[in-house]
Amino acid sequence: MNAKVTSREKVDLLIVGSGAAASVFAAKAAQAGKQVLMLEAGPARGLQDLVSSQLWARRLKWGGAPVEEEGNLTLGHNFNSGWGTGGSSMHHYGVWPRLHPGDFRLRTDHGKGLDWPLQYRELRPYYDRIQEEVGLSGDAAAEKWRPPGSEYPLPALPVFPQGQAIAAGFKALGKHTAPIPLAINSRPYKNRRACIYDGWCDAGCPIGALANAQALYLPQARAAGGRILHRATVTRVLANKKGNKVIGVEYRDAEDRQQVQLADVVVLAAFAVQNPRLLLASANPAHPQGLANSSGLVGRYMMTHPATSIYGLFKQETQPHLGPTGGQLISQDGYDNKAAIKNAFGSYQWLIANALKPNDLLGIVNTRPDIFGRALEAFMQRASRSIGTMVFVGEDLPLAQNRITLSQHKDQYGVPLARAVHNIQAPTAALCEHAVAEGTAVFKAAGAEQVWQGPRFGMHIMGGTVMGTSADNSVTNRYGQCHDIDNLFIAGPGLFPSSGAVNPTFTLHALGLLAVEFMLREWGSIA
Amino acid sequence: MTTTRRSFIKSSGLALSYTLGAQTLLLSPAAARAKKLPLRRLDAAHAASLETLAEALVPGAREAGISHYIDSQLQREPEDSLLMIRYLGVADHHTFYVDGLKSIERQAKSRYRKSLAALKSQQTDELIGALAAGEVENWSGPPAGLFYFVVRADAADVVYGTPAGFERLDIPYMPHIAPSRPW
Ligand SMILES: Cc1cc2nc3c(=O)[nH]c(=O)nc-3n(C[C@H](O)[C@H](O)[C@H](O)COP(=O)(O)OP(=O)(O)OC[C@H]3O[C@@H](n4cnc5c(N)ncnc54)[C@H](O)[C@@H]3O)c2cc1C
Ligand code: SF4
Repeated sequence: MNAKVTSREKVDLLIVGSGAAASVFAAKAAQAGKQVLMLEAGPARGLQDLVSSQLWARRLKWGGAPVEEEGNLTLGHNFNSGWGTGGSSMHHYGVWPRLHPGDFRLRTDHGKGLDWPLQYRELRPYYDRIQEEVGLSGDAAAEKWRPPGSEYPLPALPVFPQGQAIAAGFKALGKHTAPIPLAINSRPYKNRRACIYDGWCDAGCPIGALANAQALYLPQARAAGGRILHRATVTRVLANKKGNKVIGVEYRDAEDRQQVQLADVVVLAAFAVQNPRLLLASANPAHPQGLANSSGLVGRYMMTHPATSIYGLFKQETQPHLGPTGGQLISQDGYDNKAAIKNAFGSYQWLIANALKPNDLLGIVNTRPDIFGRALEAFMQRASRSIGTMVFVGEDLPLAQNRITLSQHKDQYGVPLARAVHNIQAPTAALCEHAVAEGTAVFKAAGAEQVWQGPRFGMHIMGGTVMGTSADNSVTNRYGQCHDIDNLFIAGPGLFPSSGAVNPTFTLHALGLLAVEFMLREWGSIA
Repeated sequence: MTTTRRSFIKSSGLALSYTLGAQTLLLSPAAARAKKLPLRRLDAAHAASLETLAEALVPGAREAGISHYIDSQLQREPEDSLLMIRYLGVADHHTFYVDGLKSIERQAKSRYRKSLAALKSQQTDELIGALAAGEVENWSGPPAGLFYFVVRADAADVVYGTPAGFERLDIPYMPHIAPSRPW
């Protein structure tokens, strides 16, 4: 370890991370003339590095300090987190549904969890603007559950035999499906190419059809002068003596030298687990329980969507290798009635007909981990022709006891590791059980010859630095600006006070746009 | 698919770098095995146990070079590893494999008084069934069910996760960027 500290020239805006949330801030701030620097812990990687292979895809996953995990539904940090240019957005699947109005009012409507400090109608214009910039493909009319919003700029992607087979089961039971709203081009859009349905999204889409950070906002940021410094692991956020302003960060560079980067404004966009870890590890005399943590809520309300896959073997060929990895169809029947199921609580959705490759955690081979030997070869031959799958995505209740704390163990730079505890309670487990029974019935109605289910796992990570109306109930305001420190912002799904049951990345883009515009508007009083 | 493309895919497979003396070779694990390239992180006994177990889990794993694949990945920093175990919250990958392999050999000895490689196929299957179910007594390695899951997934990676593996299942590979080079 080299303890020599050098100090870098001050920048206007310093962003920790270069993933989905960072990219929106970086693009808009750089375009507004701010000097923007992103510090990214992982390696530099371009679209040309996104090799189509489920083995090489693993290089996109988290490669930083381990996270200690515990609970009956762990966050699955290493699976759910990315690393390097573009962060997790590089292997994300582009499933971009909106939250529903009821997701913003959990406490008001149900006396559970937390409310958001803004309503759906206030976020809607930002969803609409992001949708136009990114180019979502979908069929708004077919989504009978869709909250108000402008039409999708692109038509839906086609539905392949796997999707058609499963949709028949929904229809037979009087349920509905619609094309998934995808941040994937069904046609060329704004100089980005159209999808060719080869199912390699998990390994990263190198042709720019899927709106990962490198397809859109990072190039915009760079074109406007924004920079990314790779292999730069932020270890501490630095505050002034009074503790009312941050002045920059400490980081380790590629040569393991300790550096200080000064900035007028700092945005933490290091994803839901590393953001609270950094805040807790940046305690100082003015902030003894962690930076921006007068609420004591930094690290609390960690959430992950409980998820379970349903599988079936069909008589007909399903061509499961075709289409986007995130799926072809969605069903959100009953989403808005969170208390519909006895003893259960929460919304849920189905993502239907995910493209499957033979290997990897989510590949065909691991749909039946119990089979081995000659029987496995026979299964693989059959399933690669006729398997169908869909995944249940459920709402996770925000619970204060689900939290990130600092471990006794430290990483190579002396920063305590994150320790993540996450448990679901009986009503959430009951929701999952209800959904599995429903999914099984759908597959049977679709004529599947064998139906089975995978294990329950955590999909997406949210919470840990929740937004709210005051320091009594939250870490930041609606813009992700810390209640305690004006020039420190947090971005990403860590801000969500509730999880809803939809994939978070569209929402974090909309929130990012809302926040960065506020920040730029108020720059004079913040910086 | 044209003949040229087909033969390209066959030859590309999963190419990894192997060092032989001062030379760096770009080979598939199967080719590294066929050339008998020395292993660096697994000793001969561990490699023999691994090959026997992996072959029983996923036929074809031995020839596809499972030992050379795992051995090459264990030589890397965890952030560069292609092993699925990097998702699974296991801190020390090498210890995971070595302890698991030692433990399964101990199981074979205590149940059948033979090494894993010398078991009849029915005995191997029984032992694997117990491993998968976590029903193993005096097991001191990583959790038995997890060890089963990981080695099975590794074996599936080398057998099915390459262009040749896709071809075996008659699934078109359709790469944007073919996995023909080390990253
Ligand atoms: C397999 C998979 C599929 C997914 N599919 C979807 C989907 O279809 N739809 C959807 O809505 N969401 C999806 N997601 C979730 C989505 O990827 C995340 O919600 C989103 O990327 C989070 O954005 P972020 O900017 O907060 O974090 P990231 O995009 O993860 O960016 C954080 C960055 O910060 C860096 N970093 C961390 N710590 C430090 C530090 N100390 N110093 C410097 N840099 C640091 C990381 O290396 C990383 O690059 C998927 C996720 C996975 C894993
Ligand atoms: S399926 Fe479409 S979005 Fe996914 S990797 Fe292929 S081209 Fe890209």
